[in-house]
Amino acid sequence: MSARTTRGRRALAGAAMLALTAGLVACAPAGADPDTTQPASPGGSSDDGDTGDADGGTFTVGFLSPVTGPVAAAGTEMREGWELYWEQTGNESAGVTIKTVFEDDAGNPDTALTKAKRLVEDEEVDILVGPLLANTALAVADYAVQAGVPNLHPVAAADDLTQRKADPLVVRTGSYTGSQMNYAAGDWAYKQGHRTAITICPDYAFGWESCAGFARTFTDAGGEVTDQLWFPLGTQDFSTYVSQIAASGADMVYAATAGGADGTNFVKSFVEFGVKDQMPILTNCCTVDQANLTALGDMALGIHSVSYWAEGRDAPEVAEFLELYEEQYGKIPSINVAGAYLTAYLVDTALQATDGKARGTDLTDAIRQVDVSDTVYGALTFDDYSNPVGPIYVREVQTRDDGKLWNVPIETYDAVSQFWDYGADAVLADPPYSRDNTGR
Amino acid sequence: MTAIAAIGRTRALALLAGLVVLAALPYVTSAYTTSLVSLMLIAAMLAASVNFMAGQMGLVSVGHAGIAATAGYGVAWAADNGWSLGSQLLLALVLTILVSAVYGVTSMRTNGIFFLMVTLALGMVVWGLTYRMAQITGGENGITGIRRPEAIAPYWTFYFAVLALFVVATLALWIVSRSPYGLVLQGIKESESRMSSLGYQIPAYKFSAMMISGFVAGIAGVLWVWHAEFTSPTSAGFLRSALTVVMVILGGVGTVLGPLVGAAIVVWTEHVLSTHVERWPTVLGLIFVVVILFAPGGVIGGLRSLRDAVTRRRGGPPTEPPADDVSEPGSRQVTPTSTAS
Repeated sequence: MSARTTRGRRALAGAAMLALTAGLVACAPAGADPDTTQPASPGGSSDDGDTGDADGGTFTVGFLSPVTGPVAAAGTEMREGWELYWEQTGNESAGVTIKTVFEDDAGNPDTALTKAKRLVEDEEVDILVGPLLANTALAVADYAVQAGVPNLHPVAAADDLTQRKADPLVVRTGSYTGSQMNYAAGDWAYKQGHRTAITICPDYAFGWESCAGFARTFTDAGGEVTDQLWFPLGTQDFSTYVSQIAASGADMVYAATAGGADGTNFVKSFVEFGVKDQMPILTNCCTVDQANLTALGDMALGIHSVSYWAEGRDAPEVAEFLELYEEQYGKIPSINVAGAYLTAYLVDTALQATDGKARGTDLTDAIRQVDVSDTVYGALTFDDYSNPVGPIYVREVQTRDDGKLWNVPIETYDAVSQFWDYGADAVLADPPYSRDNTGR
Repeated sequence: MTAIAAIGRTRALALLAGLVVLAALPYVTSAYTTSLVSLMLIAAMLAASVNFMAGQMGLVSVGHAGIAATAGYGVAWAADNGWSLGSQLLLALVLTILVSAVYGVTSMRTNGIFFLMVTLALGMVVWGLTYRMAQITGGENGITGIRRPEAIAPYWTFYFAVLALFVVATLALWIVSRSPYGLVLQGIKESESRMSSLGYQIPAYKFSAMMISGFVAGIAGVLWVWHAEFTSPTSAGFLRSALTVVMVILGGVGTVLGPLVGAAIVVWTEHVLSTHVERWPTVLGLIFVVVILFAPGGVIGGLRSLRDAVTRRRGGPPTEPPADDVSEPGSRQVTPTSTAS
C-alpha cells in the first residue's frame, strides 16, 4: 500500500517535472538571439566592446594545442613558437595588445571542440589558432566557420582543410598539405636516377596523402612504385617492414611518418638492419625532424628528406629565429615551433598592414595578401584556398659546427602549390587520397 | 510508514529541485555552460546504458562507445549525403539494432571478465572499421559539416531536447529495472544456475538486455554527433568506452542518478578543470581512487550510506534494507527468487 502511494507520488512528481520542462522549452533564454548558432558574426566582432577601444585595444587569441596525451610534446612546441614570437614584440602589434588564452585539447576532437566553444563564447577571442591533429583541426575549423571566427593552422596538414572544406575564414598559416610537401619528393627522386621505389607510410589520412604525393609525381615522371607498405600509428617494431623493404629490390625507399616515436623507431630499424647502406632512402617532413634527431644521433647522418622547414638554411631570418629559440630552450627549433612562430609573424604582419583593425574575414584576407620573401620558410604567398604557396626543400642531415645535427637544404623547389602542376580542378575532381587512391 | 513516505517525498522534492535547476540553466548561464551541460547529459545517457547492464546483470561493457558511434556515424553519413532527417534517423536506428544484435549474440553466453573482453573486442572492431573504411567514414579525419535539424539548431533548444530525452531514457530504464523482466535480470545477476534451473532462457535475457541498453546508447550516439556536429573514430575509441565505465563507477553502479553524477565529474574534469590544471588526467585518477577506497558504491552510494549513518545516530527507525534506487526489494518481491527460496 505504502509502496503504491509512494510510487503514485513519484509518478506525479515525474509528470510535473516533464510538464515544467515542456513549459520552459517554449520560451527562449533572454540572451539567445534568433541566430544563436552564430555568436559572433564575421563583420561585427570588431566592435565587441573589448576590442576597438582607445589606444588600439586588445586582440585576443585562442590558442589550442595538445599539451597532454600522446602528442603532448608537439603541442608544447607549438606554444613555445607562438610565445617566442610575441615576446619579441612585447605582446603588441600596431598598437594593439595581443592577449593569448592557451587551451589544451588533449589531441581529442571532443575536447578541442568544447575548448574552442569556450574560447569563442566565454573569452570572445578574435581568432582561434590550432589545433594540431588533423581530425581536431577539421572539427575546430568547421565550428570556427559557423561561429564566424578566423581559424589559423600552424601545423595541421590535412589536405581537405584547404581543399574540399576550404573556407575564407580558415587559413593554413604554418604548414603545407600532406600531399603538397611530398610532390617534390617524387620529382626529385626520379631526377636522381631512381626508376623503381617502394613506399612506407602510416595507415591514416596523413600517411595516405604523403605517399600519394610522392607516388603521383614519381609515376608521372616515368618511375614505378613497386609496392606500398602501410604501418599502424604507434608501431614499435619495424623489423618486418624493413625486411620487406630490403627484399623488394627497388631502387629506393620513400618513407613517411608523422614524426614522434614512429619516426625514431623506423629509422633505428632501418639503420640497425644495415639497409641504410644498401638502399637510398628519402623521407618526409617529420621523420628526421629536430624532435627526432636528438634521439637518433649520428645514425641519421646523410638521410635525405623533403620539408617546407629547413633549420640549416643559410638565411638571416632563420639564423635569427634559431638564435632566439636556442637561447631560451637550448635546442634547435622543430617544425612545430617554426609553424607557430610563422603563424604569429603572419598575424603580426596582417595587423600592421591594417592598422591593427582587421578582424574576421578582413583579417584572413589581410593574411592571405601577405607577400613576403623573408619568412622562416622562405618566400610565401597564399592561393585561393588559403594554403601557402612556397618553397619545398630537399634536405640532408648534417652536423653543425657545434656538433648538433640539423637538416641542410641541398635543393629547393620554389613556389610549390598544393596542387603541384596539376591545377586545382584536376586534383579536386578526384576523391581524397586514401588506400584506394594512392596516386600510383 | 511515515519515514518511508518522507524519504520518498524528500527524494521526489530533491529530484524536482534538480530538474528545475537543469531546466532553468540556459536562462541563467552562458551558452558555453549550457552546451557543456548538454554534453554531460549525453555522456550520462551513454553511461546509463552501460549502468543498466552493470547494475541489473553485473555485466560491465567496455565497448558501448562502439554502439553509440555506429548510430552517430549513421546520422553523420546520411546527413553528409543529403538524406532527409527521417531517413537519417532510420539509418541510425537500423545500424543501432544491427550492431546491438551483434554485441548481444556474441556476448549472450558470457559473463564477468569474458563479457568484458568480448565487448572490448567488439568496440575495437567498430573503431577499426570507422578508421579503415575511409571512403565512407572519412577515416581518421572523420565527417565534418553535419548540422542539427532546424528545430534544435540553437544551443538552448538542443539542450532542452537532450534534457527531455535524458529524463525519458532514465525513467524508461528505471521502469524496466523495476518490472518483472528487470527482476529476472537481477535474478540472473544473483545466480545464473538457479535462474536457468527455474527454466529461464538466460541467453535470451542477456540478448534482450543488450538490445535495450544498445538502443539507449544509440540515442546518446546520435545526440553526441549533433552536439559536436562532427564525428571521428575517437567517438568509438577505447578511451570513450573506458571513461563511460569510469562515470558509472564514480556515480555508483546500479543507481538511477549515478551516471549523471559520474558524467558530470568526468566531463567537468576533462573540459573545465583541464583549462586550469595541466595534469587533469592525474586528478581524474585520484578522484577515482578516492571514490573506490572510501565510497565503493560511488558518489550516490556514498551519500546514501552517509544518510543512513546520520539517521541511525539520530535514533530514527532503521531505513529500508540496502536502499537501492533501482529496485527496492522487500516492497514488492514478486521475483522468482522469492518463490524459489
